[in-house]
Amino acid sequence: MRAMWVGSVAVLAATAAMALAQQTASTAWISAGTTGVLPAQAEFPTPAGRVGFLLSGGPVEMKGHPFFTPLGKNGRACVTCHQPAYGMSFSAEAARDLWKRTGGKDPLFAAVDGSNCPSLPQEQEKSHSLLLERGLIRVFLPVPKNAEFTINVVSDPTGCNTSTVYGLDSPTPTVSVYRRPRMAANLKYVTNPAPRIVLKLGALSDTDPATGRPVGMNFMADAREATLITQARSALLGHGEAQSVTDDQLQKIVEFENQVYVAQIFDRSAGSLVEPGAPPALGPASMAAHRPGVLGDNDYDSVFLSFDSWKKGGASPQEQFRASVARGADIFMFRQFWLRDVTHINSIGLGNPLKRTCATCHNHQMTGQDLSAGFVDLGTTNYPRWTEPPLYSDARDLPVFKITCKPEALPHPYLGRVIYTSDPGRALISGRCADVGSIVMQQFRGLSARAPYYSNGSAKNLRELVDYYDRRFDMKLSEAEKQDLINFLGVL
Amino acid sequence: MKLRVLAVPHVILLVVQIAAAQQINFVACPVVRDTRTVPCFLAEYEGETYFLAVQQDISADQYPPQLLHDVLVEGTIQPGPRVCGGIPLKPVKLSVMPEVNPACNTILPAEPGIDAPPTHRPAGPSTRPAAAAAAPAAPAAPVRPTPPFGEREWKILYDFDSAFLFSRDTRTVNQAADYAVAAKAKQIEIVAHRGATLLSNGKVLVEGQAIAAQRAERVATLLKGLGTDPASVKVRVMSAPPQPDGKTDPENRVVSIRVSP
Repeated sequence: MRAMWVGSVAVLAATAAMALAQQTASTAWISAGTTGVLPAQAEFPTPAGRVGFLLSGGPVEMKGHPFFTPLGKNGRACVTCHQPAYGMSFSAEAARDLWKRTGGKDPLFAAVDGSNCPSLPQEQEKSHSLLLERGLIRVFLPVPKNAEFTINVVSDPTGCNTSTVYGLDSPTPTVSVYRRPRMAANLKYVTNPAPRIVLKLGALSDTDPATGRPVGMNFMADAREATLITQARSALLGHGEAQSVTDDQLQKIVEFENQVYVAQIFDRSAGSLVEPGAPPALGPASMAAHRPGVLGDNDYDSVFLSFDSWKKGGASPQEQFRASVARGADIFMFRQFWLRDVTHINSIGLGNPLKRTCATCHNHQMTGQDLSAGFVDLGTTNYPRWTEPPLYSDARDLPVFKITCKPEALPHPYLGRVIYTSDPGRALISGRCADVGSIVMQQFRGLSARAPYYSNGSAKNLRELVDYYDRRFDMKLSEAEKQDLINFLGVL
Repeated sequence: MKLRVLAVPHVILLVVQIAAAQQINFVACPVVRDTRTVPCFLAEYEGETYFLAVQQDISADQYPPQLLHDVLVEGTIQPGPRVCGGIPLKPVKLSVMPEVNPACNTILPAEPGIDAPPTHRPAGPSTRPAAAAAAPAAPAAPVRPTPPFGEREWKILYDFDSAFLFSRDTRTVNQAADYAVAAKAKQIEIVAHRGATLLSNGKVLVEGQAIAAQRAERVATLLKGLGTDPASVKVRVMSAPPQPDGKTDPENRVVSIRVSP
């Protein structure tokens, strides 16, 4: 029996949960330290319908569980940024709602990275503008010792990169970039192990420090952590400001994360996404049942399987919407365009340009990530194709860095030796000039629950996401094609 | 074209045959030609258009060049009809030059009568061949090297001024590593070279000073990471480029891996 659970602090029987189904998503925010049982199945309202949440191992008691319990001094837990009601991430709208409800006192807004910079007056809303407007968390990293480049701050709206305490000129030179928290769900796909050699690098993949086995390098925007264990430790010590964390706590966190599946389950226009005859990739149960590691860039076992059952359309608005979704799936798989100037796609022997489709890069069946290590420079953070205003703007809210490649370094393959960027991405880990702006692509599931999109939260909605691709690759999508794509992405 | 050559007097035919075997080496912007299927990559040199490559995927032996980069073409003119509007070169070695050249940015639209040669993969998602669809084959098990183990050598040829190991190259390194592990190799000798190329216009291009060392280091790291005994890996770096001859120059941009049981 499916429970629908939208309460925040409760031990819920399935029947009681059904009664709570009409509550809003905002009341489903789980604060760190919440006790009660998280049911095995739940649905949460989203702007487009409802997102489904499934725990493949059954209900979880939150009391004392390290995923839900603050382990550090700022009161945060993992759940602070990975909310079941928001696709195991959170939306900017939810952050704004939380600010209003708590007066900015929730640990989400902790100075360390829930504000634009810890040096700013924390009680002021504008000090948290990137979190409230774009859903961004500050990520602060040292410049790699082996960096093939120098980095200078061109503009610093948050003040953090020029801060003598937190910035590049501080005693511990640090770069602050701002990124969306990724969804902590469907992780068997995201952590699918890679071959020993990374296609995009022509070099060895990172390895699990515990086992020595190669890892997929496909989670986190910059793939800086090898495993969920190392990620959890790093997050607790950094974002959570914990003094220490035990192996047992880490194991419990990862055990929990590995049983979470999220996907849209109901769409206001399409209706149930999991009824008999619905496209087989939809819904969280499909995510749980399917096997990871399947390459879907083909016409016989596609990335999101088949939408044929919705193709026939009909007279009703629901049938017409479903037909639009099916057309969107076909556009995703088959609509060709010039895929060009993308580091780690065009530069690995495929040629530039490449006449292909969305599924070329977004090829991992069920998630739409890349089956290979996923960092590519789509262009969202690098001038001139970045998502920020193309001309000078006082309203620009992200920092801009000037990256200058050293003479002996291999340049960025499409931007050369001087690159202006709002986030160097993978280059802050690898130190390679060629990696500037490369960001690991994200999974496509539960999108309606966790706007805005892109690593820098620049696309407020799916329309803006599709528009960026249309401009970036000169796809010349018609209005109808755009709407089909939006409808398709919205039900995933 | 072929009939015309056959119809000309004997002396002229001889000249044509000599010209047809001509080696041609040049640096130019690649030009992309769209077609009904996959795009072709061409280049112009001294008023003539040459066919370089066609879009495939990383399983191909020949990778296309890239817009926003010059391409170094080292090839032999192939007699016969034009391909995709260009004179075919075979064999041909294409190198994507590392620096960005914004001037290399031409995409031509498809034209009737200009078609790409057949490829095993279309422009969109891959398709399953009809035979495979009828009876899907089980994935082939990896072939493990078996005794007797003798001395063996593998070679990796590089793009000009590049140490990048493409998919085709890492397959080679994998083979060498598998063999070395199976043979319990006492020595794996890596010899890395720096090349130079004589262009058809007489100019000589020499690779960067550090390129041989970079190639050696990457291959050695890969071999060690693939399970070979690190103590068995010996590296020699040949940093002095050979005298280029305009014919065999691509063979000098090479790393050899010699495995001795």
